[in-house]
Amino acid sequence: MEHTESNITPAPMLEARNLTKVYEDGIKALDNLNLKVEPGKIFAMLGGNGAGKTTAINLFLDFIQPTEGMALINGINANKEPLEAKKHVAFVSENVQLYPNFTAMQNVDFFVRLGGKTHYSREQYEAALHRVGLQSSAFDKKLKDFSKGMRQKTGIAIAILKDAPAILLDEPTSGLDPKAGIEFIRLIGELRNEGKAILMSTHDIFRAKEISDHVGILNNGILMAEHSSDDLRGVDLENLYVEYMAGYMEHTESPIANALKPS
Amino acid sequence: MNNRAVPLVFNLLFLNLLFNSITMFKLILLKELKEIIQSNRFVISFAVCSVLIILAFLMGAQNYLASQAQYEATIQENRAQIAANTEWYNINHTITLPPQPLMALVNGVSSDIGRNIEMRSRGELIAENTRFNDEPLFAIFRFLDLEFIFGIVLSLFAIIFAYDAINGERTSGTLKLCFSNSISRASFIAGKFTGSFLGLSAALLIPILIGAALLPVLGIELTSDEWLRLTFIVFSGLAYFGVFLTLAIGISSITRRPSTSFLLSLVVWIFAVLIIPRSSVMIAGRMVDVPNLDEIASQKNNYRIQLFDEDRPKLQNFSIPKGTPPAKAFPLFSKFMGELSEKRQDKIEALEERLNEELENKKREQQKLAFSIARISPAAVFTFAVSRLAGTSLDLQHRFNDSAKEYQKLYSNFMEEKTGKSSGGIRIIVSDSDEQEEKKNLDPDEMPAFNFSETSFKETANSSFTDIGLLLLFNLVFFGGAFASFLRYDLR
Repeated sequence: MEHTESNITPAPMLEARNLTKVYEDGIKALDNLNLKVEPGKIFAMLGGNGAGKTTAINLFLDFIQPTEGMALINGINANKEPLEAKKHVAFVSENVQLYPNFTAMQNVDFFVRLGGKTHYSREQYEAALHRVGLQSSAFDKKLKDFSKGMRQKTGIAIAILKDAPAILLDEPTSGLDPKAGIEFIRLIGELRNEGKAILMSTHDIFRAKEISDHVGILNNGILMAEHSSDDLRGVDLENLYVEYMAGYMEHTESPIANALKPS
Repeated sequence: MNNRAVPLVFNLLFLNLLFNSITMFKLILLKELKEIIQSNRFVISFAVCSVLIILAFLMGAQNYLASQAQYEATIQENRAQIAANTEWYNINHTITLPPQPLMALVNGVSSDIGRNIEMRSRGELIAENTRFNDEPLFAIFRFLDLEFIFGIVLSLFAIIFAYDAINGERTSGTLKLCFSNSISRASFIAGKFTGSFLGLSAALLIPILIGAALLPVLGIELTSDEWLRLTFIVFSGLAYFGVFLTLAIGISSITRRPSTSFLLSLVVWIFAVLIIPRSSVMIAGRMVDVPNLDEIASQKNNYRIQLFDEDRPKLQNFSIPKGTPPAKAFPLFSKFMGELSEKRQDKIEALEERLNEELENKKREQQKLAFSIARISPAAVFTFAVSRLAGTSLDLQHRFNDSAKEYQKLYSNFMEEKTGKSSGGIRIIVSDSDEQEEKKNLDPDEMPAFNFSETSFKETANSSFTDIGLLLLFNLVFFGGAFASFLRYDLR
């Protein structure tokens, strides 16, 4: 069979296959999640509290075991071979917490080495911290004196330096001031352009629409919808989200749903 | 892949995994070490440890030198008392327990046991003049020695350092960030324990080394044997400290919140350090009935009275042939009384020996049981190990009593040789003023010397190594527990 270059779909860097998580108390946090994130793409998981976004990320990081299905990082089952799988992923949490008695530089050095990168010089650390917008004067300050935005920047610098092909972001812009949020989104865009596959959970509909290549809407552990950025062009994502959350899409003829239906 | 290539690949994979684990372990260890050293907790504990440990060395040295001076003064006083006498039967010879150099650092029971024994040719020997008898204030507050510092202060520090080792990282979020990388839980917890242990050991070892270097300056010259003992005392201290560190890490890996693990660790500490050792004595006391000392004394006294009563008719029937001159009558009476007294004394001693043996056996049985129960507590195990190493355990009292009994035979023979009489009974001395001549003062050097033999390190090691082994076993068990619970720990 002959393929043209445009026909070849790159293998997904992050993939959830029928990923299901039922907790011991019987709560189904994630129900049969299927998603793929290719290199150079951003997938935003939108959803309210308890929608299953963080559960999905925790499954990719092997913090919890799936009840069914699998989370794959670069084709490696993250729950079967976690040590191997985690070599290919970097993680930035909602509220990056580093060691408060360490300076930014010491934290970066520790976590980057933990990520398996031992060859960086101080200059390279400084360059990464500059890139994320941290002031030089803060490099040797202890983290306990950092604001949330500064900690978030340090966290993303660590992810950049780990240089993993996949990045997991759990509510990365939550609690950031608008300027810091914009800077953060700019950085995510840069990382995408460098070929990273990014899976991001967020409440932030506008930023999700602005930066993502795919948006998935999760409600009660179910991926209600998945749309590409092309699908969403000209669509009021906020209304769409609200309608999904309210369950309208299943019962009513929504103008937004109609707009999203393939012609 | 051919048959030979398969094991090779597995070996390479295994080596890679091992190398990765060691790298991660080293990384966590160094992080932990750095984090500890930069923390306020470390600064405070280092300062407190340094002050306490150096103070313990200084005060211990002072105590030892004071005990040494007191020991020498007692010896001199005893010699002077002998030299001032002209008759051996008039002397009150006292033997004294020499102070142990390592009592400066581990006081043990050295201040609780009698250090002087007034020697008698036969019968019971009673050790008197305890340090606490002379200075009761110390009995209330005890001494600030290494045993106290390790046993109470450092075990608490171990808990303060490690109570949030795992759950603290969970609540702060760093645990998730760490485990978003390819690090195994085994490397993490092993690195964490080793890093904490090394960091806190530094806080202890620096002042201990300074204190040890001060000993010769303070006038305490330790032999190579005693240096070796001191090394093992410090080693036991570190092993004991490790027990509480692993315990606190274990507790922090079964709880979700640092406040819970702190409270739980504190409760365990109170039981292990304060309650179990004391309860063991009470439980053993209830399980093994040791005769009351007053009861025994009363039994002995009754028997003595009974023997006197039995002898009374013999005394009444005793008569000296009429016309015997007083110079001959007295020796006859003296001989008769001596023989009676000798027989009575033999019987009393036989009873005393039997009662004392029964008492001693019961006491040892009770002690053995109390020690066995107390060994549930690492604090008690540590106390046993270090006091044995320092030569200040209960064994010191047993050895002193045994040495005194051994010396009693020498003393008895010597006195018999000097006074021409076997000991015991009533001594009637008839002096004839006509025969009186100027008597020479006694030479104290003639008195056989009392030598208290110290146990060698080898002898001590046999008994204390069991307890050191037990401390290491506690470490292993608690670390195993911490490791097992951390494997199932919810990292979120």
